[in-house]
Amino acid sequence: MIAIAHFIATTFYLGAAALAAAPFARPVRAPVRGVLAALALGVLAHAIGLTAFARSAGQAPLTGLGPALSFAGIALAVTLLFVELVAREVSLTLVTAPLAALLAVVANLAGLVPQVEPPGGQGPWFVAHIALSFVGLAGLATAAAAGTMYLVQRRELRSRRFGSIFRLFPPLATLDRVNHVAILAGWIGLTLGILLGLAYSLTFHQSNMPQVVWALGAWSGVTAIALGRVSRGWEARRAAVASNAAFAAVIILWLAVRFVASQPGKFL
Amino acid sequence: MTLTVVGVSHRTASLDVRERLVIGPSELSRALAEAAEATGAREAVFVSTCIRTELYLAGAGDESVAGAMALIGKRIGESAEPYAYVRRDREAAAHLFRVASGLDSMILGEAQIQGQVRDAWELGRSASGTLLNRLFQSALGVASRVRTETALGRGAASVSSAAVQLAKQIFGSLNGRRAMVLGAGEMAELALECLTSEGVRAAIVANRTHERAKELAARYGATAMHVDECWAQLADVDVLLCSTAAPHPVVRIAHLEAALARRGHRPLCILDIALPRDVEPEVRELSNVFLYDLDDLRAVVAANIERRREHLPSAEQVIAEEVERYWQWVAGLHAVPVVTEVRAAAERMRQREVAQLLRKMPNLAPAEREAIEQLSRALMNKFLHEPSVRLRAAAANGRGLAVVDAARYLFGIGAPEAASEATGEADPAAPDHHESTDER
Repeated sequence: MIAIAHFIATTFYLGAAALAAAPFARPVRAPVRGVLAALALGVLAHAIGLTAFARSAGQAPLTGLGPALSFAGIALAVTLLFVELVAREVSLTLVTAPLAALLAVVANLAGLVPQVEPPGGQGPWFVAHIALSFVGLAGLATAAAAGTMYLVQRRELRSRRFGSIFRLFPPLATLDRVNHVAILAGWIGLTLGILLGLAYSLTFHQSNMPQVVWALGAWSGVTAIALGRVSRGWEARRAAVASNAAFAAVIILWLAVRFVASQPGKFL
Repeated sequence: MTLTVVGVSHRTASLDVRERLVIGPSELSRALAEAAEATGAREAVFVSTCIRTELYLAGAGDESVAGAMALIGKRIGESAEPYAYVRRDREAAAHLFRVASGLDSMILGEAQIQGQVRDAWELGRSASGTLLNRLFQSALGVASRVRTETALGRGAASVSSAAVQLAKQIFGSLNGRRAMVLGAGEMAELALECLTSEGVRAAIVANRTHERAKELAARYGATAMHVDECWAQLADVDVLLCSTAAPHPVVRIAHLEAALARRGHRPLCILDIALPRDVEPEVRELSNVFLYDLDDLRAVVAANIERRREHLPSAEQVIAEEVERYWQWVAGLHAVPVVTEVRAAAERMRQREVAQLLRKMPNLAPAEREAIEQLSRALMNKFLHEPSVRLRAAAANGRGLAVVDAARYLFGIGAPEAASEATGEADPAAPDHHESTDER
């Protein structure tokens, strides 16, 4: 049931991306409602899968490699759905939905099996700490996706190529705004998540060095971009490059920390 | 013959022929009266734009085409044969649907024609009737469908609108943005009109001749200044539109470097529509500057037109569906005289029978008489309801005109011509009748 729900969610995420890409292949408009419906169905299937996991395992799908990656995937998909519902603009799906699908697939492959929870693992502080941290990372991923699209569209406009990307990608100002809002939302989520993690560590006398290293690394990157944008007035291109660099750094750092210090089956 | 269109357009005649055929609103009534007289048609509508003049006729005989040709020939002062085209019935309907949708326009998919067709119909309402009213109503509906269901009208199709499209691809909405226009010529005015219609908040018109700048600025609520004073304003501008007649570049890299240093990292869109160009090409290398010249704008237009062509099959599909729908409605009109006649005959019979009955029962109270009247009327309506509905449906689906003929025979109703003459209605049956018979 859990694996099937993840498979269905992946199919819907990829379907949404395919629908959003339709105007590149054929002379049609992007079916906004279709893309949003496919994304919503993907989120629903994903949520059903995670709920089934929570029921069978008796724990929130936040600890363990598979469950945590799956939760990251749904956080990203929900963020994407929210952004697109507000903007009525679905081209961000092209980049972000495959990423959510990838997370769901890797989660499935890694195995959606329960882990031994740390002390207080069922408590609201711990759950909120993980959930907010993932929401923060989803914000960073969304900012990176918008940043990638910004850089591609900018290159098209500067090199005066008036092809499909020029026509179908959103205006630079829109992509910049999405990047700006997503990075601020990401910073808020990650900051709250880390503060709750700190409170949890102090309360339960728990500390996990790989998690601390990774969390502080990710937070530093997001904070630098958020500060750059808000107080230093970073231009859109620099923010787009920085978002991509920060996102890539977070992934590389996670892989490195996992390689060096993580135990099998654990997220970190 | 139900529908006929006789016309001259950019596809068949040069401008010097077309301009002699343009019919202005002031002469429309006279032209329609002349058309009715020359063609003998019951309904007529002129569609006259800068690229076409077409006369739509309904309820006309074969001789109507010759009459329309003569009318056109009279206006252009020579034979109309080499220039005019004729479309009949379904083809005439399809032609108007294509025209209204912009498929027959010089710029494929242009939207202005829809309004022109609406105006032509509104102005000619006095001479149009059931068939043409429905035809034009359908044409406007088809144009809207084509516009919403296909991307035929999407993307800029003129240099000015391409300039706006490029600026919007950078800034999103232009609402509240600031623009500066260098030059005060015709192109500058066109571009300024496009920009202000997109909500550009503050515009500056800079020109060598201050008077001309003031004149243009006053028309669009902009600020006028001499070109030498405008560089200080560049830091606050989002779109710079250059359209001077200067023989050398007016906007130099030094002007922009100073301005860019003060404007932070906001992008600056420069649209150079002058020939020779107003902006030094090196400006393109500056960070956050998006510079486009006439060739770029033409490339945008060409790409958009090419993409519009890709949507032609979808648009033709919509048109084919709507022609079929319109023609079903036209065919449905065949049943109207028959149904009317059947109902009239039944009513006469009912009245006669009720009168006979009432004569035999003279002592009935008024309420009882009224009850008998109502009963007979209700029975008649019940008996005739289903045959009426089926008769209309059979006529409308184009395959059941035999049913209409059968109804004429069964109820003893005369030939369609007779019925038509009696009612004074247009007779859509005659030509289509043969067509449908062939299909059977």
